Amino acid sequence: MTIRSPPVALPASEATPRAAPRRRRVDLLPYALIAPIGLLLLAISLYPALDAIWLAMTDASLLRLARKQFVGLQNFVRLGGDPIFLAGLWRTLRWDVAVVALELAVALPIALFLNLRFRGRGIVRAAVVIPYIVPPAVVALMWVYMFDGTFGVANDILVRLGVIDRYVSWLSDPNGSFAIIVAAMVWAGQPLMAIILLAGLQAIPGELYEAAVIDGAGAWQRFVYITLPLLLPTILFIVLLRTIWMSNHIDMIFIMTRGGPGFANYTEAVYSFMLTQQFNIGYSAAVAVVLAIILMVASAFYVRHLARKVLA
Amino acid sequence: MRATRLQRAAVLAGSVAILAYTLAPFLWMAIASITPEARHDAGTWQSGRGIEYLPAAPTLQNYVSLFTNLPFAIYFRNSTIVATGTMILALVVGSLGAYGFVRFRFKGRGPLLVAILMAYMIPSVVLLVPLLVIFRTYGLINTYPGLILAEATNTAPFVLLLMINYFSTLPRELEDAALVDGCSRLQVLVKIVLPLSVPGLVAGGLFAFIATWNNFLFAFLFTTSEATKTLPVIMRLFALGEPAVWGVSAAGAVITTIPVALLFLLFQRMLISGLAAGAVKA
Repeated sequence: MTIRSPPVALPASEATPRAAPRRRRVDLLPYALIAPIGLLLLAISLYPALDAIWLAMTDASLLRLARKQFVGLQNFVRLGGDPIFLAGLWRTLRWDVAVVALELAVALPIALFLNLRFRGRGIVRAAVVIPYIVPPAVVALMWVYMFDGTFGVANDILVRLGVIDRYVSWLSDPNGSFAIIVAAMVWAGQPLMAIILLAGLQAIPGELYEAAVIDGAGAWQRFVYITLPLLLPTILFIVLLRTIWMSNHIDMIFIMTRGGPGFANYTEAVYSFMLTQQFNIGYSAAVAVVLAIILMVASAFYVRHLARKVLA
Repeated sequence: MRATRLQRAAVLAGSVAILAYTLAPFLWMAIASITPEARHDAGTWQSGRGIEYLPAAPTLQNYVSLFTNLPFAIYFRNSTIVATGTMILALVVGSLGAYGFVRFRFKGRGPLLVAILMAYMIPSVVLLVPLLVIFRTYGLINTYPGLILAEATNTAPFVLLLMINYFSTLPRELEDAALVDGCSRLQVLVKIVLPLSVPGLVAGGLFAFIATWNNFLFAFLFTTSEATKTLPVIMRLFALGEPAVWGVSAAGAVITTIPVALLFLLFQRMLISGLAAGAVKA
């Protein structure tokens, strides 16, 4: 990041011929402009990330931080026989697929709807985005409240509709809690997907549809043969992005049930986080590092996509 | 082509369905916050509520309790300080860096940018443990600077990306003309580029503020004292049923949401186009 200074003690014979190109001074200004964010991220992201790998190879505990010992790959070997970690792989996958698929199922119709021209569209679009702005901790609180076993409004409505005959304690049930946390996450996450899909829809040239109408294509045919293929890159992009984020997501699960009941909602990210709560940070770092490695391939695609866009 | 009655009805039905889905949970929270607590003054401070869709005797007592029985004003202040501080830090380092990347061709430009993007993609999960150790070592736990630094891991690179996009749209000729007129390059940045970039800076700053205001994870991990806890940390205690007074919890949720909801409604056009650019990290 810094410009290498010239070697101090050059023999005179060598110094003379090199002096000529050096007269074209290296422009320091761009480096000075980038230095603040570069150093900041070096200190609070890149260095800590390397530190995480190192910590994962120690028996570090928050209770005796100064006396941590290097244990090599022991933590990683232990992961291979850890039932919570192994089940966590499946739970992470289940969580990712459920959230991302449902977000897409909710967001695509909303995006198609918002792509129509009608009066009041701006208001509807603003309302669609609101859940994304609400703090996730508030979303968690709202959904815990709605599905509470004694005074949750969901129980009241479902009993009145005759779907259930008595109040259910949704969040104490392994499947019930999964469903409710997913529902809360989808509610909070779908706006981003809807807005990005909408931007993708608006980039499709209108002439294509006009030509299709002239050729006698119906609405369904236009959707299948024009909209979907042209929207596919956008869909793949946002699905990739959400899958990475959901694999790393902790807030909603931790706040709503602490990953419970039992270990029912322990994704790897939640497991790693719960280990820090038990002060077991060496092992926690090992779980996080393995998760990051699994996600690295997906992340590399995303970084390449961004870099190409920015450097173009 | 005029819309038929059927089409208008369909649009109306669609709008109502979408509004119900996205607003109903929040509306229910707002109703809960003005529903009186049956046993509020019984000394137990426990909810005795039933389900009232339209509270017969709406009250603001829950809001009063929120600020008198809890140090809620302090949490609110903490959130404001941390979000504002992060916003300023992210705007300064992000826009300086973005200008460097957009207007200069220099050795190492590509690798440096990739390094920053990689830093951006490092998941928070990986950073939790090392940051916890570093913050303990340097006494940054329970401090505003510590929280602001941690929040900058996500917000600074985001502002950088947003401002790279923004600066790229500015015409270069203006800057060249100013250089010819004898401005230094820093003067060009301060006097020409930044004033032209106000919309971009506002959007970036708002995202940084909202993301920090909403962030739970770092705030939860790096604060243990009441004096530095932020609102999302308190929302978690409320979700755990502590204090077991739903009306007060709901009032807290409403107050926690209002600042970011207002910012969003005021600047929604900018924010929505920023979202569509698709680089926001959740």
